[in-house]
Amino acid sequence: MNNKKSLLQRAAAAPHIVWSVLFIIAPLIFVIYYAFTDSEGKFTFENIANLSQPSYLEIFLRSVCFAFLATIICLVIAYPIAYFITKASPKTQKILIMLVMLPMWMNFLIRTYSWMALLEDSGIINTVLGFIGLGPIHMINTEGAVILGMVYNFLPYMILPIHSVLSKIDTRLLEAASDLGCNHFQVITKVVFPLSIPGIISGITMVFVPSISTFYISQKLGGGNFDLIGDTIERQFQTAYNYNLGAAMSFILMILIIISMTIMNKYADDDGGVII
Amino acid sequence: MKRKTAGNIYTVLVFIFLYMPIAVLILFSFNSSSSTGRFDGFSLRWYKELFSDAATLEALKNTLILAVLSAAIATVIGTLAAYGINKIKNKHLKNGITSVTNVPMMNPEIVTGISMMLLFVFVGGLVNSKTVLGFGTVLIAHVTFNLPYVILSVMPKFKQMDKHLPEAALDLGCTPVQSFLKVELPQILPGIISGFIMAFTLSLDDFVISYFTVGSGFETLPIRIYSMTKKRVTPDMYALSTLIFVAILVLLILSNISGDKEKKTLTLKQKKRRKIVLVSTFSVIAAITLGLFIGTSFAEVVTVNVYNWGEYISDGSEDEDGVASVDTNKEFEKYYSEYLSEQYGRKVKVKVNYTTYASNEDLYAKLKAGAGGYDVIIPSDYMIERLIKEELIQPIASREEITNVIKNYDYLLRAPSEGKTLTKEEAEIFQKPFYDNGDDVYSVMYTYGVIGIVYNADHVSEEDIGGWDLLWNEKYSGKILQFNNARDAFGTAMYKLGVNVNDPTAEQWQACLNELIKQKPIVQSYVMDEVFNKMESGEAWIAPYYVGDALSMIYQAEQRGINLDFYYPTDENGETVTNVFADAMCIPVDVSEEQKTHAIAYIDFMLSVDEKYGAPAIANAEYIYYASPNRLVYTNPDYLATLDGDEEIIYEPMSNINELFDKYAYRNLSSQNLSTLNSNWEALKVESSSFNGTIYVISAIIAAAIIGYIVFITVRKRHRRKLYWEQSPTVGTKKSSSDSSADSLSDTVTIAIKRSKSKKD
Repeated sequence: MNNKKSLLQRAAAAPHIVWSVLFIIAPLIFVIYYAFTDSEGKFTFENIANLSQPSYLEIFLRSVCFAFLATIICLVIAYPIAYFITKASPKTQKILIMLVMLPMWMNFLIRTYSWMALLEDSGIINTVLGFIGLGPIHMINTEGAVILGMVYNFLPYMILPIHSVLSKIDTRLLEAASDLGCNHFQVITKVVFPLSIPGIISGITMVFVPSISTFYISQKLGGGNFDLIGDTIERQFQTAYNYNLGAAMSFILMILIIISMTIMNKYADDDGGVII
Repeated sequence: MKRKTAGNIYTVLVFIFLYMPIAVLILFSFNSSSSTGRFDGFSLRWYKELFSDAATLEALKNTLILAVLSAAIATVIGTLAAYGINKIKNKHLKNGITSVTNVPMMNPEIVTGISMMLLFVFVGGLVNSKTVLGFGTVLIAHVTFNLPYVILSVMPKFKQMDKHLPEAALDLGCTPVQSFLKVELPQILPGIISGFIMAFTLSLDDFVISYFTVGSGFETLPIRIYSMTKKRVTPDMYALSTLIFVAILVLLILSNISGDKEKKTLTLKQKKRRKIVLVSTFSVIAAITLGLFIGTSFAEVVTVNVYNWGEYISDGSEDEDGVASVDTNKEFEKYYSEYLSEQYGRKVKVKVNYTTYASNEDLYAKLKAGAGGYDVIIPSDYMIERLIKEELIQPIASREEITNVIKNYDYLLRAPSEGKTLTKEEAEIFQKPFYDNGDDVYSVMYTYGVIGIVYNADHVSEEDIGGWDLLWNEKYSGKILQFNNARDAFGTAMYKLGVNVNDPTAEQWQACLNELIKQKPIVQSYVMDEVFNKMESGEAWIAPYYVGDALSMIYQAEQRGINLDFYYPTDENGETVTNVFADAMCIPVDVSEEQKTHAIAYIDFMLSVDEKYGAPAIANAEYIYYASPNRLVYTNPDYLATLDGDEEIIYEPMSNINELFDKYAYRNLSSQNLSTLNSNWEALKVESSSFNGTIYVISAIIAAAIIGYIVFITVRKRHRRKLYWEQSPTVGTKKSSSDSSADSLSDTVTIAIKRSKSKKD
């Protein structure tokens, strides 16, 4: 009787398990299947081999570098702001966090499009610069613009987890540290920073993964001159009709991400003791 | 104090950064002109226009339905799953399920999107259906990526719950159902609600996954915005975003206020009241959604799904003087619902689901992916040839029958040129064009035109224009646009080099690729419909494009004081060498007999000049500036008057269209040429135009610094741990465990204490 009941209780997970097998595992198997077959369905390594051409290697390298820089810049911008927010009164804190989250509710496509209007040669920023007598600065369709787009879109994902960790730090620890002779700077570097590593790690993941796989930002702000992994995948599926190459690219992207995660987790284990 | 000011300034700067684009968007939603780059004065015009923009409102409705449905399904499955997983004793099984669940959360969205697309396409192939992608597939995809978030927020509630509570309830006489409803549910309810809200939000905002799994006739708001940002975003989209922004702001403020009250202990009465408010809010949302849903699916509605090029129909938008054009789709809805209602003897609603694509290749990929469900598509000549060959479109009627099926078909006639009589064959070129001249009629010509070059006359000097080489002129580096589709882009290089566009040799392919690679560094960007905005704003100066769109650009730019001009490129002998094309309406192969009659009605309507319904054929021709093959159109004096001289450019090819088609049209390429074209296009796309080492150098330096820092920390830590062990072996034996944060906390503090001590010493 009891056994039956618990079986029944566990069966509650059944729809989810079926769903996961059908729509999570099966699709991933299809990615691998397409990655290792040609258009007739025959097994081949050609797709993967194709991706080792210098031009594709450069796309991978470029994507990794752009995502890496965007992540670092996000971290550098986000950490202080998360810290300052925790210093505010609870009520202000709530409002500020709300303000950080608010842009995420707006469609990211239209916000990115809006950046185009700002950055163009005849755009708003250059018009303003023109008024104060500074020459037009070419910003759109450069590497910088693409990275800026990434930083802009994913910055809240860095601020929020860091803030959440920082706000949970026991203030008594900070007091203890100052009592024991740490100056303000030391309190931050010796106590606050090590304690906030879990937040940093999850922030990094939440920025790096979407940055390395984005395809819209680079097309709009890079003018199609800086093909990233996401752009290449998107093109195979939406215009070039070459699913096999696209699947191979996605497969490699997944592996790239798994490797970075593993490395991150290893250091997270060593340092902060948090597994994401 | 000083530090605080610095902090405040910094905070303000970051918020300016976060809100700058949003401010721009809000500002331009009040713009009096259609520009999204220059403010011409305050007006509420776009808010007014928003509420008459049926497609956007429809997309908004779809998005809401999708979000509510997917969140509800995910919440039910997810809550059950959390309950079941919690009961599973086997640790490995539990971990296994949890990690699979988290896959969509960890995987990049694009991978989730394409993996689901591959599954659907494969299943579609198995059941031999050309219409797999649609509302169902997007719903499945949304539920899938919502699930982990629901489980994530419900699971802890189950874990926190005291196991003995339900037991106690049972002991006290509750039935299991009662115990679940009265004891367990109230405890996990907050988790369920937050899971639902999170799922709802994610689904509402999702673009990437929908983009890969959506089919025809179902457009969510993000997808609509995406297709808009591909050409020009009309400020009514900004107006909508502003409204959404304000709505969310108000919601957040309200929740903030009520959240403050929450802290105070509530009396039973207040609790009850809150419950009532909560329940009624939910039921209102549910009722609205249900209403929307029922409204769409159960009333008798005939839907015609039309998939057309961007900016290729008269869409009812106002011009700068506030004069509205004819909305031909709306007119068709009016006409056809009157017609059907009369026919059936009861009220029938007709709806045109109108979506757009940017190039023939996009259309082809969509059709091949099984994103069918389109009733009318409008590809170009060479693509029609290919679609007929690959049996992706169906005959509209046999050639004898066609005039009975399409009433206006006979008006597709070439005008006799002065002093020359046309043979029957010459006159009927628009009925029997090179791409569709068999016994069955697959296509009905919509427009024809020529590719030329648009340039900014204020910046491009007269002596540079004339040929294709303007696109390679380094003087205008960074101001040149190029087609973002393989056929047209390679076409420009082929015409420049004087290569046969329909059958180049291997060397010629390579030469063209080299030519385009050479061009890449001076190209500002590869565009399709984006060309409008870039040329009209003066951002770019030179672009090859289709004549009708070019004229429409010239007209729009004139309003903004930008002086554009246009020419058909010639070779060194002064002979025009460029592409002449025709676009025609076709019906995909999977369209059912019943839908086909509606599709035919739509096609016929597009040829009609019935004043009662806004003379659609004329309205379209006036709006899109392409040459119409329809005699009723190009002989209409009122229409010719509105062209104001442009008819000479537009209808110039008519005088020898038969030869032009023979000589300059793109034909379907052989499969070998097609694969060369595709691989060359890919090669061009991935070619890096400017190797900018700085980015890599900076990355490398930062990466090296971080690695160095980590190594330094690790070494120091090890060293210190050694010290620590020597000094206090009792504590030290308790190895600083990695999964207890309390331990690492005390660890860090101890280290801090030690450091400060050693410093004092």
